[in-house]
Amino acid sequence: MLTFTTVMEERIPRPFLLRSAAAFLAIAAVCAAVAQDATTDTDRGPSVKKLKQMSLDELMDVEVTSVSKRPEKLFETASAIQVVTGDEIRRAGATSLAEALRLASNLEVAQINSQQWAISARGFNNASANKLLVLMDGRTLYSPLHAAVFWDVQDTLLEDVDRIEVISGPGATQWGANAVNGVINITTKSAKDTQGLLVEGGGGSKLNGFGGVRYGGTFASGVHYRIYGKYFNRDSTRFGDGRDGANNWEMKQGGFRVDWDADANNLVTLQGDFYDGHVGQPGTADISVSGGNLLGRWTRTLEGKSSISLQWYSDHTHRRIPGTFAEDLDTHDIDFQHRLTLGDRHDVLWGAGYRLIDDRQHNDYPLLAFLPAHVRRQWFNVFLQDEIALVKDRLLFTSGAKLEHNFYTGYELQPSARLAWLINKEQTAWAAVSRAVRTPSRIDSEFYSPRDPPFTFLQGNPHFVSEELIAYELGYRVQFRSELSVGLALFYQDYDHLRSIERVNSATPFPIFLGNLQMGKSTGVELTADYRATDTWRLHASYTQLHLDLHSKPGSTDAAPVDTDPEHQFSLRSSLDLPGHFEFDAVYRLVARLTSSRVPAYDEVDVRLGWSPSPALEFSLVGQNLLRPSHAEFNATPSRQLIARNIYGKFTWRY
Amino acid sequence: MTALAWVLWCGLAVSLPAEPTREYQVKAVFLFNFAQFVNWPAGAFADPQAPLIIGVLGDDPFDTVLDEAVRDEKIGARPLLIQRYQRVEDIGICHILFISRSETGRLEQIVARLQNRSILTVGDTDGFSRRGVMIRFLSENNKIRLRINLDATKAASLMLSSKLLRPAEIVTTGRD
Repeated sequence: MLTFTTVMEERIPRPFLLRSAAAFLAIAAVCAAVAQDATTDTDRGPSVKKLKQMSLDELMDVEVTSVSKRPEKLFETASAIQVVTGDEIRRAGATSLAEALRLASNLEVAQINSQQWAISARGFNNASANKLLVLMDGRTLYSPLHAAVFWDVQDTLLEDVDRIEVISGPGATQWGANAVNGVINITTKSAKDTQGLLVEGGGGSKLNGFGGVRYGGTFASGVHYRIYGKYFNRDSTRFGDGRDGANNWEMKQGGFRVDWDADANNLVTLQGDFYDGHVGQPGTADISVSGGNLLGRWTRTLEGKSSISLQWYSDHTHRRIPGTFAEDLDTHDIDFQHRLTLGDRHDVLWGAGYRLIDDRQHNDYPLLAFLPAHVRRQWFNVFLQDEIALVKDRLLFTSGAKLEHNFYTGYELQPSARLAWLINKEQTAWAAVSRAVRTPSRIDSEFYSPRDPPFTFLQGNPHFVSEELIAYELGYRVQFRSELSVGLALFYQDYDHLRSIERVNSATPFPIFLGNLQMGKSTGVELTADYRATDTWRLHASYTQLHLDLHSKPGSTDAAPVDTDPEHQFSLRSSLDLPGHFEFDAVYRLVARLTSSRVPAYDEVDVRLGWSPSPALEFSLVGQNLLRPSHAEFNATPSRQLIARNIYGKFTWRY
Repeated sequence: MTALAWVLWCGLAVSLPAEPTREYQVKAVFLFNFAQFVNWPAGAFADPQAPLIIGVLGDDPFDTVLDEAVRDEKIGARPLLIQRYQRVEDIGICHILFISRSETGRLEQIVARLQNRSILTVGDTDGFSRRGVMIRFLSENNKIRLRINLDATKAASLMLSSKLLRPAEIVTTGRD
């Protein structure tokens, strides 16, 4: 208690302290109550009465593993994984994937303005945070331009999201490059699970209007499909002095998915999306974004746990920011995976992948250029990992490595070793050591400003090398009866060759180039607790602590590095089912201040009231950021914009 | 900060009794629902007040949950009754029959014996649909799905509501 409050006191103004203390006491009380409950043998299984009130569709949606929403395997995973379910996204009233990611407490999620988000894990957050691997249905979402995600064009019908897995810490061995500080894996539902017609729409104070339609049907026995379309229009955000950021925007998106259960062992999926939108800019023409993708996957289940899968996708994106930048990018990717069991102790996963990008920079504006303008680059990788049951069903050791080849630095090896100790059905302890790299992207090596020589401001650096990480992690999960589960992860991460800004000539401040002369360490804790107070009331609390210690290496001309990450984050979420088919959800979140950009600590509350007068119809009223008219989440003052309170209403009709 | 972690672990006993499975609670409620979404031919009931009987053949995985699911319930004027059978020969009047996993080896004889009787047969074991059981519970992604063998329900003159058919997977005898 002493350490906790002392640290909080240093960083956070008093009202926060009071609220945190209240939440802390609430958790302690809950904890004590459960401890007491564990000694009495009360059977509080979920009630049959409640199940009987459900429609057939709802019954088919009930998770049947007792305890948490997690399949057992997840509970045993030797990494810091959190899962956000589609239902949690709906109940939180999230209106975008970025908002949904706020539900994963092992992420830092900050809204920069109406359209931009800074999302990272374990530090280094930025509008172009570049140490995350982000995937949707197996398609990589981060751009080879800057290794970051353009969050404004990552979307789908949120109703169709099955789950989002968020792994903090390196996942490079299995997942691949860029999985340095974390992996976000967004999975949409199978077409089989989205049958029938769904119509939704609504609007509010900042989210001006939105609507979506989805229809799911069957082509033939075992072939299910869905098609969807959606639209939204969002209001602009304002600067601290009241000026309008003029960044109101609108997007149209459509897509489809077909799942063919060819037979009991073969599943074929074909899916695609396309989108088109524009975002306002002050004093100049709108930013235009458009793109589309097509993905095919074949999964074949072999004997026992063995399976093979082959996946291919192509993705096109276009972005024009008048006055600044224009790009057309095509990505083609093919991946193969084979899982097999050897003897009764080895569970082996190996695979290979190839990616081709075709990037065309238009370099239309005098401000900046990527040179060469048009490149075709390829990546290939092979990986192998073996999960060995050292002691059957008790001690699992997973080791593996990924070997990846890229244009900039050639071969990179990313090994890891993980140990999971399944103490009993209710407890898992795990430990891991891994190496991951963030390989260079075009912005690191080929970025120039102004567009034409001499490049008096910024010059490309063909010698930029990969940023490196060695991570050490420890974790523990425990389940108390079916009501309470707690997860804890501790980490120590050691970075080298981090990106720095160096002077070309040490005597003059400009031109500059991007170098690798920073290093640093981070330590932290990620703690979550899920508590099912009653059949109709669930609570979720989380606390994430992060400390970064970065410094410049000898020879660097960069200023001393300062992180852009909150040292503490806390959240408390309550999900309550009320009589009369009402749902009431509330989320409180507290984010400590950002040192470098001087964004003050803030706390905010989101609330949703939902009502389903019939199984086919649902109305909801959502208030986001209710505590104050507006607050800042990111960026230093001249460019900082404020995130305003938003209240919106929504209907959903399913037939 | 570690204080928070410690408080959460506050002296909790860790070895705890197993919880009754939610899976069979959900399946019991499905059986109850079938009573409402299936039409039996006129001869299946003696009179409009005759009870609708849900039977379990073989080892009963439901414990008391099935009884709990139908307690005080009526379909129109009919009360619901639960009966348990050890052998197929024991089955008298029955409308919905859950065939337990324990009967896998005898399934052919059971299906043959029930042929031409208007009993909705239900199971949750691999291969049951292929072998003529009308509705099979499947576990997929931790959820329960229905697979319905329409050949078999038609042969038994049972009419299934579209509400039941729509979310289900339809198969024919011989495929599973």
